[in-house]
Amino acid sequence: MSGRIAQLSLFLVAVVIGTLLVAQLRSQARPIELSNLSAQELSALIETLSARNVELGDALADLREQIRSYELAEVQGQSTLDLTRTELERIEAFGGLREVLGQGVVVTIEGSFDATAINDVIYELRGAGAEAIAVDDVRITARSVAAQGAGVIEIDGVALGSTVEISAIGSPEGLQSALQRPGGILTVLEQSINAQFSIAPTTRLSVPATERDLTPQAARPVE
Amino acid sequence: MSRRLPPRRRLTRPQWAISVAAGLAIIGFVGAAQWNSSLATQPFITSAQRVLISEAEQLQRQQETLRAEIEAADARVQTFQEADAGSQAVLRQLNEDLLAARLATGLDPVRGPGVVVEIADSQRAVPEGESGTNYIVLVDDLRDLITALWGSGAEAITVAGGGGAGGPAERIVATTSIDGAGPAILINSARLSPPYRIEAIGPEGLHDRFLAHPSYLKRVARRIEAYGLPFASEPRDEIELAAFIGNTRLRWGAPVVEPN
Repeated sequence: MSGRIAQLSLFLVAVVIGTLLVAQLRSQARPIELSNLSAQELSALIETLSARNVELGDALADLREQIRSYELAEVQGQSTLDLTRTELERIEAFGGLREVLGQGVVVTIEGSFDATAINDVIYELRGAGAEAIAVDDVRITARSVAAQGAGVIEIDGVALGSTVEISAIGSPEGLQSALQRPGGILTVLEQSINAQFSIAPTTRLSVPATERDLTPQAARPVE
Repeated sequence: MSRRLPPRRRLTRPQWAISVAAGLAIIGFVGAAQWNSSLATQPFITSAQRVLISEAEQLQRQQETLRAEIEAADARVQTFQEADAGSQAVLRQLNEDLLAARLATGLDPVRGPGVVVEIADSQRAVPEGESGTNYIVLVDDLRDLITALWGSGAEAITVAGGGGAGGPAERIVATTSIDGAGPAILINSARLSPPYRIEAIGPEGLHDRFLAHPSYLKRVARRIEAYGLPFASEPRDEIELAAFIGNTRLRWGAPVVEPN
């Protein structure tokens, strides 16, 4: 009888320990709650989310317009090849497979910089809404990163010189203010590396297509 | 000759009493830890913060709806493209080009061999006088891990929050931004929370090259070591990565079209 009580007691203790341990582990893996953010952080988050939602709304409006055009062509018995061709050009421009012409900024970096500094500036430009980027004449695709080669910095196998020009298509004011904001990337880099930076807004900027073959070898489409 | 089995060994009172006492001690310890952590996650919230939280939640819901609508509209556009009544040969070529472009730019889901990387905030107590920021996953950490994967030959990458259970994974494309919003990280337009799960498809040896890549070793590997950020990575034979859902329209530029 006392043996049964002992087994039952141990079983109950084990169940309670297990439950508490799971609860504890789950609480440690809990996602960041909005209530843990300060008012300042919440304001910054709202500003970013609002801007991104406007972009998504514009993208949805464009897609709906495209659907209307296809529907209209279908009703009128016309071919939609031209619409599809335009869509192909747009996707190629988005992914770096086609040259893009527009307005934006040119960032010039001179002096002693490393691959990390170049990658940091590229990430910062993307964060500020850049739509197409090139470093010198190398188009930056999703897969392009600056890396330290044999004594030189390389992007997509192309060696960079001691002065580089980063061209970014996007809002000239938006890109410039994002890079130059107090505590921003240029302030940080100017304090940490021995290089000079200059930014020039421009209304006519060409960003070339990538020369890299982006056809995946290991990745295949999901049927 | 019959052998008598030895009497079955039973727990004597002192043995099980010690076991129960040890168990109760563990319950007390874990219970106290659980109580403390639940107290820590209920900070004082002002009415102004409450308004901001409500607005942020509304924007996140709006974003989820927009993304779902974009996904549906994009699928509809693709249906039209495949069903054109014009020249079949031209259409076939155009659709092949479209498929190749979508695949190369991250607009279609892909599968293949690759690696899975996970990184989370440190569970260590922040020493007095030291910044708590050092003990959480920073924007630069994710940027460096992604850079190291691309530099190691990755062909497609996604990042998910909540260890992969915190909503859809974000595909990294040419315009992807990785920014901070307080302790959370925004990728594309989505707010992700730790632990972060990065999945990448690439050719054989991707995992080894990633762990030896300077972009991994220079900053993030040191922070993992110094601040105890939980980190794990492993190669996988087959993974599937989601497509990018978001804006692919150029607002400040236009594609250059060669004359026919």
